[in-house]
Amino acid sequence: MTRRRVVTVMTHVALLVSGLAWLYPLFWALGSSLKGDDDFFSEGLNPMPSHFLWANYLDAWREASFGRYFLNTLVITLGTVVVTLVVTSTAGYVLARTRFPGRGFCLGLVSATLFLPHGYTIIPVFDLMQRLHLLNSLWSVIIVQASGGVVFGTFLFMGYFMAIDRELEDAAQVDGANFHQTFARIMLPLSGPMLATVGLFTAISAWNSFFIPLVFTLGRPELRTLAIGMYAFIGENSTEWTLLCAGTVITLAPIILLFLLLQRFFVNGLAGAVKQ
Amino acid sequence: MVTTVSVREDVATAEPPRSAGRRRARRRTYLWSYVYLAPMMVLLLAFVVYPIVASLGYTFYKWDGIGDPTDFVGLDNFRQIVHDSIFWRSLGHTFVYAAFVVPTQLVLALALALVLNNKRLRFASFYRTLFFLPVVTSAAVIGVVIQLLVSNFGDSINDLLLKLHVIDQRVDWLGDPHFALAIIILVGIWHTFGYNLVYFLAGLQTIPDELYEAARLDGAGPLATFRYITIPMLRAVGVVIVILAVIGTFQIFDLVQVLTSGGPYFSTEVVNTYIYHLAFGGSNANAVQPDIGLASAASFIYGVLLIVFSVVQVLVLRSLAKRRATGGKA
Repeated sequence: MTRRRVVTVMTHVALLVSGLAWLYPLFWALGSSLKGDDDFFSEGLNPMPSHFLWANYLDAWREASFGRYFLNTLVITLGTVVVTLVVTSTAGYVLARTRFPGRGFCLGLVSATLFLPHGYTIIPVFDLMQRLHLLNSLWSVIIVQASGGVVFGTFLFMGYFMAIDRELEDAAQVDGANFHQTFARIMLPLSGPMLATVGLFTAISAWNSFFIPLVFTLGRPELRTLAIGMYAFIGENSTEWTLLCAGTVITLAPIILLFLLLQRFFVNGLAGAVKQ
Repeated sequence: MVTTVSVREDVATAEPPRSAGRRRARRRTYLWSYVYLAPMMVLLLAFVVYPIVASLGYTFYKWDGIGDPTDFVGLDNFRQIVHDSIFWRSLGHTFVYAAFVVPTQLVLALALALVLNNKRLRFASFYRTLFFLPVVTSAAVIGVVIQLLVSNFGDSINDLLLKLHVIDQRVDWLGDPHFALAIIILVGIWHTFGYNLVYFLAGLQTIPDELYEAARLDGAGPLATFRYITIPMLRAVGVVIVILAVIGTFQIFDLVQVLTSGGPYFSTEVVNTYIYHLAFGGSNANAVQPDIGLASAASFIYGVLLIVFSVVQVLVLRSLAKRRATGGKA
């Protein structure tokens, strides 16, 4: 019994120490964001600042444009989440519930694109956006970002709606509900967990996205997102390290908090995807 | 699509009046189905399917991306890419990256999942969160942090590692071709490790407790249980995990672009950064003029390689899993 106890305690110590060490880069960035310039160099790898310099955040927000980048990122993330949820929940509902002519073709197309490698087709998309005069706008980022996730979201919603009992819809239709009312009043309110799952996946990938906003805001610094702002910052003001660390925290903190609040949806979604 | 169908339905309504009402209702349902489906299909066709087709068209032109492509060069772009040693080197780096990241992640993630799957272990979900957290952070921002750490405190890291006898001489971390790729690999392992952990945990939870119970009663030790129950039962999920991990590593771009931009001297150039530099101009030493045709040709070759590779991978892993499963039964 005591031996088992020792093993248990050792396991916890090992897990805790390695788990915290695992997050060292994040702790380092957090600590360094509060350091002064002298501190930053003298303390080096030690994440703990000797005094807390909160002004770094104000400077990063105002002078280094992180406030603007934050707003851009927020708009892109919210826009992408809304577009994705609307588009994938309606498509998933229809594919799950009506046997319309052409359903097989649509389903086949959707499945085929799920297995195609993405990312190498950015050039035609760039050209298309240029011709639609959407280049260098937040819209282009939202649309391209959302289109990257529609297949995955549609599949998740389709599976979710298929598992819901038909009786509720039949009852609604007997009561005279039309197509939209059945979807909006019966099915959508039932799909809360799936809205959260798809919404969270989309929010995380939109917030963290680098390649798409990089390509579509190349010519317009004022449209940069946080990730692009950070990347550009290295090249442009290459000495204000503590501001850059504050920028890191501004970028990472919101998404980490969102994840911690809603993580069961995220983890269940991932687990479901691999078990199928 | 909508119009042809509704025309056909119009003809069909000229039938006995009894079913006309139901037909009309069904027609309306179909019509609204198309309306509900349309936004998704438009996004899919315009931004996923069309680009795949269109990128083939650009490969035949010499084009800098401004105006319309007019300078037809036939298969010249393909010829250039195939003869460009940097393309092959970046393909090699991508494979090296995958070859280190995937096995390391799988072994570590399975080991940790086995520890965390123990039902008597308290706070297991807290530990899972700790190890999973890097997944939700932006690869680009992590790249910036690592850049800051290494470029400012590379010496401190050297001191530490010298003291620990991990290295025997000072290292120029991002300036030395070998170490630059090694750092990208390490950060890559760290960043997406959590996916594999969660996948393995999900897989382990599908194994019924009775199997372990029965094995224990038969006197099987932990190693035998792992070998004869855990591994065979994880095979199906394992195939999916490997495929997802490999596909993920082949998409590497953010980390490389932020950490080294493919340098020094192309020693960390991967295919996606190579294509990016061709299409949008490089921040590399030999910055080139944007060449969309060349970039499209490289994209197309890589796309075909990836599709072939994924198909082969799926087939091989499936048959491997099947053969082992039946072999185990015999």
